[in-house]
Amino acid sequence: MIRWLMQPGVRAAVPISILLLLGFIGPLLMVTGYSFMPPRTFSLTGTPTLANFISIISDSYYISFLWSVGLAAITVLILLVICYPVSYGMAKMFGPWANLVTMIIAVPLLVSENIRLFGWVLFLLKNGIADGSLQYLFGIHLPSILYKVPAIILGLVYVYLPFMLFPLVIGLSMVPNAVKEAAFDLGASRFQVFREIEVPLAMPGILIGSLLVFVLALGSLAESKILGGQAVIMIADDIESAFTFAQNWPKGAMLSLLLISSSGCLIFFLFKRIDLDRIIGRR
Amino acid sequence: MSGFNRRNFLQTTGAFALAAAHGGAFPGIANAARTDELNIYCWEGYNSDDVLDPFRRETGAKVRAEGLTSDPDAVNRLRAGETKVWDLINLNNPWAREMMWPEGLIKELDRDRFDPMFNDMMPAFHAPYEWAMDKTGEHLLGMTQRFGPFNFVVNTDKISRAMGEDQGFNIFLDPAMKGKYGILTYDNWNIYHMCVTAGVDPFKSHSKAEIDAYAKVCKQIFNGAKLLTDDLVAMNLALINGEIDAYFTGGTYTASPARFDGSKQVRGITPKSGPMNGKGGIVWIELTSLVNNPNPSTIAEDFLAYVQRPEVSKKVAFAEGTYNPVTQMGSKEVMAQFNKDELDAIQWDTLEEEMSNSTDYDINPDYAEMYDIYSAAKRERES
Repeated sequence: MIRWLMQPGVRAAVPISILLLLGFIGPLLMVTGYSFMPPRTFSLTGTPTLANFISIISDSYYISFLWSVGLAAITVLILLVICYPVSYGMAKMFGPWANLVTMIIAVPLLVSENIRLFGWVLFLLKNGIADGSLQYLFGIHLPSILYKVPAIILGLVYVYLPFMLFPLVIGLSMVPNAVKEAAFDLGASRFQVFREIEVPLAMPGILIGSLLVFVLALGSLAESKILGGQAVIMIADDIESAFTFAQNWPKGAMLSLLLISSSGCLIFFLFKRIDLDRIIGRR
Repeated sequence: MSGFNRRNFLQTTGAFALAAAHGGAFPGIANAARTDELNIYCWEGYNSDDVLDPFRRETGAKVRAEGLTSDPDAVNRLRAGETKVWDLINLNNPWAREMMWPEGLIKELDRDRFDPMFNDMMPAFHAPYEWAMDKTGEHLLGMTQRFGPFNFVVNTDKISRAMGEDQGFNIFLDPAMKGKYGILTYDNWNIYHMCVTAGVDPFKSHSKAEIDAYAKVCKQIFNGAKLLTDDLVAMNLALINGEIDAYFTGGTYTASPARFDGSKQVRGITPKSGPMNGKGGIVWIELTSLVNNPNPSTIAEDFLAYVQRPEVSKKVAFAEGTYNPVTQMGSKEVMAQFNKDELDAIQWDTLEEEMSNSTDYDINPDYAEMYDIYSAAKRERES
């Protein structure tokens, strides 16, 4: 045991372990503890109860869960379709221009998400930039998508695009050109190469990008609030309300626990299927 | 966030400030002599540097102010032990008298020093002012300053002031208004206003029939709304650009920034009649109290006196973000600080009439039950 503790690797891991223990495991344990406390109490010393879980199950919170899961899944699908060709270009075709494309996509990340979304509101608003310009130039009145579900999807796709794109670029750059050429030489069609060579070899990048976007979108709030006018209530919104206006910390904690455990299960399931060492060590 | 608003931002930065103030990060600070330090927990405005900097210069003190996000949240933080952190707390009127004083979270003020200041305020706030006193009427619990009617807001190009005042909250039940209004999600206020819309006084215990009537209105209001947001800027923008004609829950506090920017058609409306002893409007009044800090700052009372000065009263009224009337406007010196546009922004022309049609904000004994109904209606909204 002492020998194990004295290993350089273990010693080097001590600072990050302490940080994770205090900053990550600690709050998670607090959330877990609160979720079993009596409703509307503010200490961890009450008698543990399942009242919050029962109240959540018997109420209509499933609507928020389903909307969050559904919108996250749609975002992943749309981003896969949008990002695949772009990342293919960045990995295989753009050459030195790929850096410029990376910069153009990465720079908006330096601006707060809320401000970028509010920019979209000004663009899409009735008599706003898009509608007003079209009215002025062509006399066309644009039907508003603002404060509806499509606006939320637009926001999610826009905000989380880099989180899908960059893992995809890494995934696609792992596909050796020689393997594709060999397949073409053996008479494979373009679609066969795509399906049987490119996608399986890029799968780690595809899975990581999809997972990142799904988990981030699952916990998203700003897109539904700012662009969607809360046309749907996301689960993160319910959690925020429980901790603030409702002053029901235990219910908020139980909702958080359910969200964390459902994303945790998904990550566990996917990471059983991909091998991180393969991604890092392959090239 | 929540939409982009300063409260969310303040919540985050406040968390850091609090961590430091707790003494965990800087134990020396928390235990230092409290003659040159002041910690204020307040609604936004008092934490503006315009208000704080002159006091910092005069006293040389380190003044730290954190914006709060909801009254009950703030009270719960004091209950959880943050009386050790804060010296002054600024909340809406009922909390000092109903909760914080009975629970020993705040201290009384020196009446000899502060009672005369009430007599310089608008007549309705002269000493002894009910919300500033404990229930026995002996102890002074805080000083008033900002206040305002808070009901709903219309675009007067679409809905006239007279129509809004006559119909009151019923305009939101009109089938013709479906899809033409927003809901500003200040949830606690919405619950009060949905009670009023249902013809129920929110500030008393409710029968099952009254709760059912409230629940029905809750659903109807949510299902008819075009948008929901907790961001008053976004809501005013939607009103000005014609996305909506009115928004549920709002008042001088939310309409004033748009009005001050020149959009005079944005106007807070106070219904002429309603279920609260015949009144249909609600008015909030902020009260700033001394926290019962075991190691109190010696300059906390000085700050309360400082904010009564005419030029500082004006800065509090027109602090960044929202603009509000202040009780000190009963004094000529304070009134002289405001120009015509500023008075117009805070709807000074109708303020007295709106106040007389309003009842004071209070605590709703059935808030928890009503909140569950409210949040279910919001989730189940037909979009």
